[in-house]
Amino acid sequence: MAKVELKNLNKIYNKKIEALQDINLTIEDGQFFVLLGPSGAGKTTTLRCIAGLEKIDSGSILFNEEPVTEDQPASRDVCFVFQQYSLYPHYSVYENLAFPLRSPMRKLPEEEIKNKVENIAAMLKISNKLNNKATQLSGGEMQRVAIGRALVREPNIYLMDEPLSSLDAKLRETLRVELKNIQTNLKATILYVTHDQAEATTLADKIGVLKEGKIVQIGTPEEIYENPDSIYVSQRLGSPKINILPSSLFGMADNITTIGIRPENISVGSGQYSGKIISVENLGSETVVAISFKEHEILASIQGNYKSSINETINFDINAQKVLNFDEKGNRIYEH
Amino acid sequence: MDTSRSYLEPSSFSKKIAAAIIIVYTVITLIPISWMVMTSFKNVDSAISYPPEVLFEPSLEGYVNLFTNRSRQSVEYLDSLPAPETWYEELVRSREMVITGPSKFLGRYSNSMIIGFGSTFASVFLGALAAYAFSRFRVPLKDDLLFFILSTRMFPPIAVAVPIFIMYRKLGLGDTHVGMIILYTVVNLSLAVWLLKGFMDEIPKEYEEAAMIDGYTRLQAFFKVVLPQAMTGIAATAIFCMIFSWNEYAFAVLLTQFNAQTAPPFIPTIIGEGGLDWPAIGAGTTLFLLPVMIFTIILRKHLLRGITFGAVRK
Repeated sequence: MAKVELKNLNKIYNKKIEALQDINLTIEDGQFFVLLGPSGAGKTTTLRCIAGLEKIDSGSILFNEEPVTEDQPASRDVCFVFQQYSLYPHYSVYENLAFPLRSPMRKLPEEEIKNKVENIAAMLKISNKLNNKATQLSGGEMQRVAIGRALVREPNIYLMDEPLSSLDAKLRETLRVELKNIQTNLKATILYVTHDQAEATTLADKIGVLKEGKIVQIGTPEEIYENPDSIYVSQRLGSPKINILPSSLFGMADNITTIGIRPENISVGSGQYSGKIISVENLGSETVVAISFKEHEILASIQGNYKSSINETINFDINAQKVLNFDEKGNRIYEH
Repeated sequence: MDTSRSYLEPSSFSKKIAAAIIIVYTVITLIPISWMVMTSFKNVDSAISYPPEVLFEPSLEGYVNLFTNRSRQSVEYLDSLPAPETWYEELVRSREMVITGPSKFLGRYSNSMIIGFGSTFASVFLGALAAYAFSRFRVPLKDDLLFFILSTRMFPPIAVAVPIFIMYRKLGLGDTHVGMIILYTVVNLSLAVWLLKGFMDEIPKEYEEAAMIDGYTRLQAFFKVVLPQAMTGIAATAIFCMIFSWNEYAFAVLLTQFNAQTAPPFIPTIIGEGGLDWPAIGAGTTLFLLPVMIFTIILRKHLLRGITFGAVRK
């Protein structure tokens, strides 16, 4: 595994669309790095540039301090797990898993290939499917094999482009846990792209948030959640979504135009503010209550099952310690 | 009323009508072909008898005549010869003739094979490479080039027969296998590029990107991943190319004579005594039909999938 660095990376499509602007990123050896952002933010482009599938316009890519910017994809020794179309449909599962090991770059003896493939198949619980055609698998099995095809190698870095997004919710969760276990065991360097915040927070050692081709913040999941640099970043994590409100609602200082309050930092039942309940959503372990307050909707998340009815007037309070202050550009103001 | 069937399914009555139409059509189209096959198994007399014989005693005379050259001899001379050693010698002797040697048919037939399969392979191979490039790379003036390639088929190829004839003579390509393979490849290539480009476009580029990341060069990825995926398209294209070059008559008449003559210009020239030797011609055309038939049957599964390609894809 390797340490991967991106320095001042720029990628322009068709001479005008700036897909990536001045990306600087360091992924430490053995780190699980998640790129988070909405579609079109440049997540996949970043992966493709690292893999060598896209030529970059300027900047450099370093694996273990060695520049690989000019190298062909084959010689970069990376693994890529695609979102879909991930298996070679004319091959069996075994042949799919063996494909990278049989490449002219590696040409391992068949005996060794067999060992590796069987180990990986056992790890991903697909041993009984090895002779199946790739097209005779369920979606979950396909993605397992796709991840397996990456794991049979020990590359510089694993690049994963929303590998779980095409799966149903339950399978996604199972594979997510498995993936994290595998990564911890192998001490693998992974750059993982997603727009799913649950994946980002559970998998990541570090999260990089992308906005329109620029990295806007890098930090641990806790840092990104607790201390976002901007409204944009604060909205990337947290479910239910953070409340973004004009500061005038609660009488804040002048330079603050907008505040952000996470739903769990709003307490209900008593408090200095009162509003009308417009919806109640019971999620089992928590209840999300939407309150109408001075013509704004505020979401509050309450532990357990909270009994209330719509149109009821409710008192609530905000945890002032946890309020995030933003200026008119949406950037965070740190001094109070 | 039968309510168990789905509204989308045709009724059993309309299915029967459809089957009847198909059967009638099949019989009508098969009559000439079966007549040809029947003629090939008739003897010279029954082939031209009037009214035509539908029931006849099968004979291999046509096939023997197709493969041999014979000469008529006097009865005395025939009697002086030792007894015939093989059944076909016997058959020829019964007509008061002796075999003087093999005919040119086998040579013409193998010319057809070499030129037909050679040009099919060349068109599909070059077509696949060009189609892949047009499908995947940013080729300058891509649309214009594609249109140019298509435009080469907008006039009948024979329209350029004279310049090609002169060119081939100057280049020494006339009456050569290579020359005919090149000519048929050129004619077929535009079809191959266009057909295969459609199939290549349908193959997600992720496949070859995955292969390239897995340690293969683009060309290796093309052969290992893209070509097997395009098998249906390749099969369909190969059949079209094969049919064209196998059946081509005009250029074959014009450009080949001794060395590289193919079967189509040769078969009609089989002349027996006192007119055309119809059983031999029937035998020649029957044998001529076989390779394309076998080739199409082998690739049939791919062809059917090829035609419905895109419609059934998830």
